[in-house]
Amino acid sequence: MTAVAASVTLAAHPMDTQNAAFVQGVSGPAPAPFMYLGAKHMVTGYDHLLFLVGVIFFLYRLRDVLLYVSLFTLGHSATLLLGVLGGIEVNAFLIDAIIGLSVCYKAFENMAGFERIFGRRPNTKGAVFVFGLFHGMGLATKLQEFTVTENGLVANIVSFNVGVEMGQILALTAVLIVVTYWRTWPSFLRHSFLANAVLMGGGFILTVQQVFGYVFYS
Amino acid sequence: MSEQLSTQEFRQTSVKKIAVASVASLGIAILVFVGAVLPAEYGVDPLGTGDALGLLALSQVAAISAEASEYKRDFSELKLRPSEWAEYTYRLEEGATMLYSWTASGVVAYNFHSAPDGAPPGYAESFDAQESDSAHGSYSAPFTGVHGWYWENLGQEEVTISLSTTGFYRDAHEARDRVDGYHSLMDIHGKSLQDGSK
Repeated sequence: MTAVAASVTLAAHPMDTQNAAFVQGVSGPAPAPFMYLGAKHMVTGYDHLLFLVGVIFFLYRLRDVLLYVSLFTLGHSATLLLGVLGGIEVNAFLIDAIIGLSVCYKAFENMAGFERIFGRRPNTKGAVFVFGLFHGMGLATKLQEFTVTENGLVANIVSFNVGVEMGQILALTAVLIVVTYWRTWPSFLRHSFLANAVLMGGGFILTVQQVFGYVFYS
Repeated sequence: MSEQLSTQEFRQTSVKKIAVASVASLGIAILVFVGAVLPAEYGVDPLGTGDALGLLALSQVAAISAEASEYKRDFSELKLRPSEWAEYTYRLEEGATMLYSWTASGVVAYNFHSAPDGAPPGYAESFDAQESDSAHGSYSAPFTGVHGWYWENLGQEEVTISLSTTGFYRDAHEARDRVDGYHSLMDIHGKSLQDGSK
């Protein structure tokens, strides 16, 4: 075993230092930069992306995609706004661990795990909404890791949130295109069970990593 | 609802298959975490896979950056009469670092700025502009050029600024209303160097 001193990147995807320096230095409303940061966070945030893949995996109709994504958005917007405005700081490792588990949950649900193993499936819309709340708490913690000045706070959180939604639309469009194309292959159904197992594995990696971080670094 | 559709394909899937897939995904996740994520992100390598696959290198942060140029020290005292200004700059190559600390006997307006080589006259990038009686920190030059402070005495009394720096710069140059010239620097032993006068 080699012990190597390392500066550790613990968060699933922290803002890089240059962006952090900007957030710390800013005073007053800065809509465009915060929108950009929100969008960047979403597009490069594989925890949110994996969850979205799980959510839309079996949603064939655009109406359903919009319904579920709206529920998710409602959830994370609520906790992002309340979290930062109320100064509620939850341990980032634990929140990110729950976000990781949300991916596993969704994959397990897609595999019909709940009805086959436990006899019944919890409300799928409710689950997406509740996990949306946790994803929002994650976003709030990320934003609060940097001292965001009171001056222009509300405008900046709203901008960040708008950016998150824009990033989500971008990411979702990309995911939808890929999944829709994949569905045209005859092998889609054959591989979709395995795909959800892989998704679950991805969620577990995120979870285990955050639990490790919580135990050793918090 | 198509949500019902969602898992219809798997309605007939055996409980055993779902359970095995779930447990296997957790097992593989732990393996990937211990075998790859731990060594690559945290520098911890319990299975030796990080060493074998070269993943350990990813977690090593360059804490030391060696410098090829000579280490210098500089102490300077500048007296500024009311509304007088002075500019004190160093030549730094891109990436060269400097530690600095200055204190003034009164509040002064200051601006730390840098002008890249080849920039049009008067062009400078400002990194810190405030009113204060001291500032301390480290600076790593984002580009080759001249880097330093502009101080202006805003008060009614004469102000003395004591600047102390160490680092890998070449010349120190002072410019103000009347004086304009190079300063000699010291080497690591505190001996005066004439390197700066070019």
